[in-house]
Amino acid sequence: MFYRDKLSFEDEEFKLKVGFLHFSSCSGCQVAFFDMFEEAVEILDTVELVYSNMLTKRRDLPRMDVAFVEGALCIEDPHHLHLVKELQKKAKLIVAVGGCASFGGVRRLSCGNQLPQPQHQSFVPITEVDLVKPKVKYAIPGCPPNPSLLYSFLLALLEINEDFLLPFELMTFSTRASGMDIFVEVVNKGFCVGCGTCSTACPTRAITYNYECSRPAFNPGLCVYCGSCLAACPQSFKPYPQPTYT
Amino acid sequence: MVALNSRFLLGKYREAFVVDGKGENPIKAIFTLMLKFGLIDGLLTVSKDGNSPRLIFKAEDVEIPVRNSCFGVNALLKKAVQKYRLSRLAVFGPACTFDGLNKTQYFGIGCNWTKTAVALKISFLCPGVLTDTAFLSEVVDITGKRAGVSRFYFQKGKLHYQLKTGEEITVPPSFHHRYVNSACRYCLNLSGKGTDLTAVYLKERDKVLLIVRSERGLSTLAQVQRSSPSTLYFRKADRKEVESLISFLKEKVILNITDIIERVELGFPVPKWNDNKLRKFYRLWNSIDVNSEEEVF
Ligand code: SF4
Ligand code: SF4
Ligand code: SF4
Ligand code: SF4
Repeated sequence: MFYRDKLSFEDEEFKLKVGFLHFSSCSGCQVAFFDMFEEAVEILDTVELVYSNMLTKRRDLPRMDVAFVEGALCIEDPHHLHLVKELQKKAKLIVAVGGCASFGGVRRLSCGNQLPQPQHQSFVPITEVDLVKPKVKYAIPGCPPNPSLLYSFLLALLEINEDFLLPFELMTFSTRASGMDIFVEVVNKGFCVGCGTCSTACPTRAITYNYECSRPAFNPGLCVYCGSCLAACPQSFKPYPQPTYT
Repeated sequence: MVALNSRFLLGKYREAFVVDGKGENPIKAIFTLMLKFGLIDGLLTVSKDGNSPRLIFKAEDVEIPVRNSCFGVNALLKKAVQKYRLSRLAVFGPACTFDGLNKTQYFGIGCNWTKTAVALKISFLCPGVLTDTAFLSEVVDITGKRAGVSRFYFQKGKLHYQLKTGEEITVPPSFHHRYVNSACRYCLNLSGKGTDLTAVYLKERDKVLLIVRSERGLSTLAQVQRSSPSTLYFRKADRKEVESLISFLKEKVILNITDIIERVELGFPVPKWNDNKLRKFYRLWNSIDVNSEEEVF
């Protein structure tokens, strides 16, 4: 088992220790994560929040089963360098939450490389940092990811639903994502069915729908590199079970 | 094991009815009644010509696509669920619309809490979709004349178009296969598995063959019947009617499988994160390993 050495759901004491860590980010992902708990009453019994810069008081990082991480790592920030070392030591499994942590996100637009202004610094997503890479098992797209996605993800993690988790595992190998993926990965390869799901998934309207040619349209100037469009496209992956009807 | 049996082609279903709308398209009538009686709070589909998505709130505004052109339905999904907060939405489109929608519901990507927002999914049996210009070229190729397509239907296992000139033509699958959207050449779900109901357009404008897949589909039809008993007339489809559809699907799906196999053999790329499902299909398809020499001895 990846986050517990011994797993038994019959074990009534089972509590998954989760933490939410914050690198350079707008905290939108963390807000979405806590938003999810409104709906997640049934999993509250099995999850214990051991660390969050927003909700817990402790400053040191405790040991945890799963670290949810938002934001990109700032190369110039000593606090981030310390945090990533701690993360490697204290977390059994790491989940990159949102575009910034997974694919660089809006931090890709930074014109780096010096302190103090964020737009003047340089950032890397944690999926690119070798020290923690072996532990970054999943990347979740979105800016921020929908609370309903985070909820389904956490449920899948608790139930070890590998079909559900597989695409998020594949996403960790892809350190870049953008609206251009819709063209390079789907349209250019002859797979676009013109369904419009990518445009509904885009948080910034960088992908819209072009009714003239019945295909998506991409405005690179609006893209925040979150990966939602390709992740939502039915042609990128669909290992979900078709609904079974009785 | 993948086999071209009826279950693979048509999917699991409970009943098949021929529905008579007495002068009106029965699918349009179903949505109109559902909106009128508050069984749904919105309909997400495309315009009659299939070219632009529509989000419909009022019974008198209902329109549905009648030719095999249907693009961009899901482009309005977020608007429907997050902006207008619809919670009993009906969706009408081809199977791939529901691949996008089901994926959004299952994973939660794309649109928040879609899982609980959709009350009914109706697909149409889809021979592959075309844009306006592709329709024109296809018709020229078949008839030698330039004419637009106004509707499509199935009759005795064949695909037909009614042209804007009023003429009706039979569309041979091998011609059709060349003009459909590229992605439709790799599609194995023409019949809309993963929906509540699948509508098959028939020659008579006011009749459809309705494949009922889910309990929800069946109970919705019962509710519609109860709310307006004299609008729709149902009769159980006979075996021949269903078999003729299966024979169409078989012919088209074999063309699609041939293209999938060719694509894999040519080594054309697939989208990242896709886990190469076409190659998996190819392996499965070619997994029959017969050693004839061994059989001789
Ligand atoms: S992915 Fe978007 S919401 Fe999440 S931290 Fe980055 S900028 Fe904020
Ligand atoms: S186009 Fe939109 S959904 Fe796609 S990566 Fe850019 S911001 Fe995200
Ligand atoms: S989501 Fe639909 S419209 Fe967008 S690229 Fe994928 S298949 Fe095409
Ligand atoms: S043939 Fe398949 S991919 Fe093409 S429009 Fe129909 S359902 Fe969608």
